[in-house]
Amino acid sequence: MIAVELRKMLRRPRTWATILLLNALPTLVAVLLAVTDLGPRPGTGPAFLSAVLSDGTLFPLAALAIILPLFLPIAVAVIAGDSVAGEAQSGTLRYLLVRPVGRTRLLVAKLISVIAFVLLAVVIVAVTAYVVGSLLLGDQPLAASVSGTTLTPEQVAVRTALAIGYITLSMLGVAAIALFLSTITDSPLAAALGALAFLIASSLLLTLDAAEALQPYLPTRYWLSFVDLFRDPIFWRDILRGVGLQAVYVVVLLGAAWANFTTKDVTS
Amino acid sequence: MIRTAALTKRFGSILAVDGVSLDVRAGDIYGFLGANGSGKTTTVRMILGLVLATSGKIQLLGQPMPGAGRAALTEVGALVEGPAAYGHLSGRANLGLLDAMGKGGVRRTRARRIDEVLEQVGLAAVGRRPVKAYSLGMRQRLGLAAALLRQPRLLVLDEPTNGLDPQGIREIRELLLQLHASGTTVFLSSHLLAEVEQLCTRVGVLDRGRLVLQDDLAKLQAPTGRTVVHTPDQDRARVLLDGRIEHRDRDRLVVRGADAAELNAMLVSGGVRVTELGPERRSLEQVVLAATDTSSHQVGVTR
Amino acid sequence: MTAVRRWLVVGLGLAVLLALPSVLGALPAAQSELSAAELLERVQESGDVSYSGYAEAVGGLQLPVTQDFTDLVDLFGDRSRLRVWWRTAEDWRVDTLSATGETDLFHRGGDTLMWEYEDDRATLTREPDIRLPRNADLLPTELGRRLLSEATAEEVTRIPAIRVAGRDAPGLRLRPADRRTTVDRVEVWVDPQSGLPLRVQVYGAGSDTAALTATFLELTVAEPSEADTSFIAPPGSEFRFEDVVDVAAAANEFAPAVAPNRLAGLDRRDDLRQGAVGAYGRGVTLLVAAPIWDDISRPLRDQLEGTPGAQIDDSGVYVSVGPLGLLLTPGSRSQRSWLVAGTVDRQTLAEAASELVQIPVEDG
Repeated sequence: MIAVELRKMLRRPRTWATILLLNALPTLVAVLLAVTDLGPRPGTGPAFLSAVLSDGTLFPLAALAIILPLFLPIAVAVIAGDSVAGEAQSGTLRYLLVRPVGRTRLLVAKLISVIAFVLLAVVIVAVTAYVVGSLLLGDQPLAASVSGTTLTPEQVAVRTALAIGYITLSMLGVAAIALFLSTITDSPLAAALGALAFLIASSLLLTLDAAEALQPYLPTRYWLSFVDLFRDPIFWRDILRGVGLQAVYVVVLLGAAWANFTTKDVTS
Repeated sequence: MIRTAALTKRFGSILAVDGVSLDVRAGDIYGFLGANGSGKTTTVRMILGLVLATSGKIQLLGQPMPGAGRAALTEVGALVEGPAAYGHLSGRANLGLLDAMGKGGVRRTRARRIDEVLEQVGLAAVGRRPVKAYSLGMRQRLGLAAALLRQPRLLVLDEPTNGLDPQGIREIRELLLQLHASGTTVFLSSHLLAEVEQLCTRVGVLDRGRLVLQDDLAKLQAPTGRTVVHTPDQDRARVLLDGRIEHRDRDRLVVRGADAAELNAMLVSGGVRVTELGPERRSLEQVVLAATDTSSHQVGVTR
Repeated sequence: MTAVRRWLVVGLGLAVLLALPSVLGALPAAQSELSAAELLERVQESGDVSYSGYAEAVGGLQLPVTQDFTDLVDLFGDRSRLRVWWRTAEDWRVDTLSATGETDLFHRGGDTLMWEYEDDRATLTREPDIRLPRNADLLPTELGRRLLSEATAEEVTRIPAIRVAGRDAPGLRLRPADRRTTVDRVEVWVDPQSGLPLRVQVYGAGSDTAALTATFLELTVAEPSEADTSFIAPPGSEFRFEDVVDVAAAANEFAPAVAPNRLAGLDRRDDLRQGAVGAYGRGVTLLVAAPIWDDISRPLRDQLEGTPGAQIDDSGVYVSVGPLGLLLTPGSRSQRSWLVAGTVDRQTLAEAASELVQIPVEDG
């Protein structure tokens, strides 16, 4: 059943359109950087963007940092918000359920398919950015870590892979929120917008000192911690917390989705 | 096959289904009649486990629903309130995905079964076209194909002829009769009296959430013990039949007495020309109207 | 299972997950039998202990200065996230983490190297005699030891142990005996085995919230490897050497005035080499006097005068931020400005200022 959900996701034109859009912005940034040779001032702009001017092989990370705050979560919210509500809206949900497909299993399969989408999107963005970065910005045999030590290409590859994994996991919270909302409403748009509203609130509260007590619980709190993978030695603390936090979001919201959906009257 | 006991569903303060006790037996073609909004679809959804009953019990293929009955759904094919499919995929791909979902779809035989059902519903030629290019009738056929995909013991069909042209309706009717002949029980929910009358062996009538009638069609349409005579020689017939006439309407007479042959002989020997003569049977429309009583205007009588 | 039961299960799970951190935080810490004097002694002798870890320092002081002092503003007004590898006082590394990069200090002998990732730049300086506070000074170990270094056994009392970085840490409270200080109390929680301060809170007079909090969140008491504190500039980065680390060091080195040996009744600290900048006092009663060039004093004066709550009189412009007091004496053609700052009350600052303006200025 998970395989079926994956096939459905992969055969959807929208999946590929979304991934194409996700690639557009980093590629544009790479072109602009290559043409103007103007990097962001230190301390401003997305992580790693100032470093890519001297080493294009770091561009996958800059590209991920570019899409991470907004583009990627929007894509995830739309895809996850559509997962149940979209089936309800098109009427296919009732046919799935009388097949019969267990409702809990359907939720889990939907979540896994969303995660697979994120992984696919992130990997494609990283690969595209590597190609674009190497071609347009040139490469260096040795890259510098954030701590100023030298990283071999193998180390960069391993850490980039870890970053891809971490960013994928970071999207779990959004996916779970959108999936939960998707079981409440029959409108995919409402579910996606609800999840986005939650994220925007979370980002806003993170900038507010008065909300400090809430901050460890906010889903976006540890998003940027993928930078910690490029410190030397790797700073695991926030990464582990980030993964744990996302796990909590998944457990709680998948639980809520389960509580709501398994006894819900499907009248669509 | 389907048995419900005092099935009730409440949506907030609205009582959608009120104490319905259905009994669909193996080998039936059960016609479930009711006006739009009478609770038909809600009942069908409860039987299929999509909507949870407020109270009452459901048994599907002998299993309680919801619960163990969910497993029994593998042997049920259903078409609920119109077909649905993924528009960007072909009809064939849609059937493939649906069959791969849940238990019961054997992968080895999938391609063959899809070919078969597409052939059965008359979509073999367009199976590879994306569904968004299908007409309403083609989608309806695809929905039927999906219901047939696993050779179910029980077919639950909600308005299966929606959007079909008369030719299509006849094809589907023949298909259902053929399936029935090969041992499939059919539960057909419809607001079209004619459809049910032509097809079904058993009828249940739902009116404003209540089951007002449930019986074999043959029994409902059994001869009433009267005979209908059409004759241009009204006066002579009246003299001859003397008091046995219960109702007169132009050249149509309703005569007490079930023996049509005896009546015919009597009229002919009395010199009365008979244009038409036969035992009186009530139409399903009359039965339903009588059963639903004051709410008759709610039952569609479209032919 | 009914819908209500399902929601109950989910609600219960959520409650457990939400409560878990605070329940863990509220776990009682093992109390210690150590007396205040014993604990103080352990802290004062912990200078040679090697360790590594992660600490956060939160300052609540909004310094009304910019330009040459931006680092200082961040240091005392913001949250600093610090990673530390400490082999000895002469061989350590402290990373200050930011969301998109980091600034690292590598200290070896008399040299300090600063790596700024986002500028792709390494800067080597000689360690000056006097300098402005920097991030490494906010490590609980450094801060705690500095604040307790001159405390006497009479000034400290024991407070209950808490858990810091997974360790049971008995606490010490320092109430300075000197009435002139604006520091009400300093609380330090200590790892009893190593004597390392794990958490430090500084309270200004009349305030219930800490003006400065530094705490370890992770700590390993073991010698870090040499590789952790070594730095080799990556290829392509900028490498430069700078004589002067900051404004204070520059003033100390080049300013054409010399601070006196005694100021406002406080003795000059002899742990700092003689220079233009003088540091006075003992323990948490600290006073610093620095002669200021005109090009720095003018914008600084404008800024201080524009600060809400600034008080201006004959002795100069006075601003207090938490326990920290700043006083800038008026300058004129024949008169250098002096910046007097420290954790002492206004009266002491004014006294110091009036003594300083008597000092003749050599023409630089």
